[in-house]
Amino acid sequence: MTDQTSVIQDVQRGMIPAHIYNDKEIFELEKERLFGRSWLFVAHESEVPEAGDYVVRRVLEDSFIISRDEKGEIRALFNMCLHRGMQVCRAEMGNASHFRCPYHGWSYRNDGRIVGLPFHKEAYGGEEGFKKKGQTLLPAPSLGIYNGLIFISLDPDAEPLEDFLGDFKFYMDYYTKQSADGIELRGPQRWRVKANWKIGAENFAGDMYHTPQTHTSVVEIGLFREPKAEKRKDGTTYWAGNGGGTTYKLPEGSLEDRLRYVGYPDEMIGRMKEQWTQQQLDVVGKDGFMVSAASLFPNMSFVHNWPRVEEGSDEVLPFISIRMWQPISENETEVLSWFAVDKNASEEYKALSYKAYLMCFGSGGMFEQDDVENWVSLTNTAAGSMARRLLLNGRMGLLEDGQNVVEPLTAKEYSGPGSTRIGYSEYNQRELLFRWADHLERPVQAAAQLHVGIDPVQAGAVAGGDAAPSVGSAATVPAAMMSQEA
Amino acid sequence: MTVNTAHEASGTTLSEQSALGAHAPRTQRTGRSLPFNDELHLEAHRWLVDEAYLLDEQDYDEWLSRIADDMHYLMPVRVTTALGAGYSTSPGMAHMDENKYSLSRRVARFATEHAWTEDPPSRLRHYVTNVRTFRTEKADEIIAESAVLLFRSRGDVGEAATVSAGREDLLRRTATGWQLARRTIMLDEAVIRMQNLAIFL
Repeated sequence: MTDQTSVIQDVQRGMIPAHIYNDKEIFELEKERLFGRSWLFVAHESEVPEAGDYVVRRVLEDSFIISRDEKGEIRALFNMCLHRGMQVCRAEMGNASHFRCPYHGWSYRNDGRIVGLPFHKEAYGGEEGFKKKGQTLLPAPSLGIYNGLIFISLDPDAEPLEDFLGDFKFYMDYYTKQSADGIELRGPQRWRVKANWKIGAENFAGDMYHTPQTHTSVVEIGLFREPKAEKRKDGTTYWAGNGGGTTYKLPEGSLEDRLRYVGYPDEMIGRMKEQWTQQQLDVVGKDGFMVSAASLFPNMSFVHNWPRVEEGSDEVLPFISIRMWQPISENETEVLSWFAVDKNASEEYKALSYKAYLMCFGSGGMFEQDDVENWVSLTNTAAGSMARRLLLNGRMGLLEDGQNVVEPLTAKEYSGPGSTRIGYSEYNQRELLFRWADHLERPVQAAAQLHVGIDPVQAGAVAGGDAAPSVGSAATVPAAMMSQEA
Repeated sequence: MTVNTAHEASGTTLSEQSALGAHAPRTQRTGRSLPFNDELHLEAHRWLVDEAYLLDEQDYDEWLSRIADDMHYLMPVRVTTALGAGYSTSPGMAHMDENKYSLSRRVARFATEHAWTEDPPSRLRHYVTNVRTFRTEKADEIIAESAVLLFRSRGDVGEAATVSAGREDLLRRTATGWQLARRTIMLDEAVIRMQNLAIFL
């Protein structure tokens, strides 16, 4: 494999080798060193509200069943039968008390525990040959939940999820905790685009600069109250913890005035006031900013906007969407895009907010259509040899000597955590790519192997066969179910 | 078995189940499909073929003029579920769930000079087949079912995208000709392999 040291150093200076958006070797490194250990969003608790509910989600090629077991606990189970490795669940959603492998009929409870093993006695000699008791589908090495958002990591030693999220939690709450009961998710819409996964994550993290150009058309057709797309330059970009995003500047007024301007009804505003901290309320009410798009490293994004949804009315209505940029290859991404809405909102609000989402974002959204066209084109162009010569300038917001064009807002000017600036810049895209570079330059340790049942080698015994039928009985080896070998 | 039609889940239509379908006409088919030489079938077939040409040409203003004011245009998200689950669409989520206003915004956007996704325009071909027609309880309304395959090519050698779907349409006779009043589009893929839905099916 090519040495990627210079690529990493370039990125750390804010210069972007154009080929990182379409490079097979870079993608292999990303799979191993980034997606192999980072926290990754997979589902929301509201997608599996009842015992037995499940959805199936992937981390790269690995399929996981995200289920709610009979005790109500959320599980993330590697979707592979312990016997011959068949997928035990081939639907993408549903409700099941058990998953039965179609190959030989091994079956598992929805908490992963094995429950049925046909001809256990005749084929294996019962518990003495293969201890069924205690065996379970492989759980995700790490699992964490924040505001109902379920994350997994393939690294068993991953730092706690909340430490990873850090101060970005402050901003996640605007999208996912508008009342004590949080959000419900619908979807996802899923579609594949011939674009590298990083482009969307960078765009949502901080690209306010593309709005006036890319999204002129949606303003021209009267979908927004603001007459010009360039309104965005009055908003901010912020970076906090492992995520960052953008805000819009709101007109003068009280907290309530500003939330009403965005389209929130008074009863929802009341719940926000109960739910959010004073600082969270002050970002809106005192500082006058409202969150828009955001990304959490590496591949989860959020969006919040407020279009007109009915003819001849000046009323706008907000929507929230959550999405995942699922990497398929160096030049293909599967987008999973969910509509999110506060659980306690009225049915009428939920319906109109859903309509606002469909019109703007997702597979058919009018914003999204133009974005993807650009990203596909960028990815195509990044594949060639000329792209290998080109270092794109990702230093917007910095002078040549490293000085800031615009200084961060002070604590007096801005109530939220992190580093926040008014206007166009690429601080957030750099923050994402800095983390990307950190992962790529840090080798991973080989993951521990997991043995299903008794492994004679591990147990120090000689491999059995017809000639030595007694070797490997449970009595002579340590209890080694799913045992871990360093 | 009702997993591949517009009538999922205990007989209620997907249009009725949609949170945005309250305004939609509820007319349902009656009886068996009409003979292929029935005048109503011939009119429905002609309407669908004419529409396919309009959509290929992206003549969306003309297309919109053939759409009724109470239109419900629904394209649910398909999901893979176990046999017997009783549903094959994502509960509460569609790719498109439109009334005439939102369709008109989509059309208006294509008419601006800044709809980059269709500049340069795609080469589109809508193949419409398996057309059958039903009477309804209303004399001036008929149901037409069809299969549609869209071929979409962009740029010079970029891989073309295709989308296959079944449609159930409610057509209404007006003084100016037939108008489309309800369309339910059942895609044949759970994951769309096309960069966006800047097209109509």
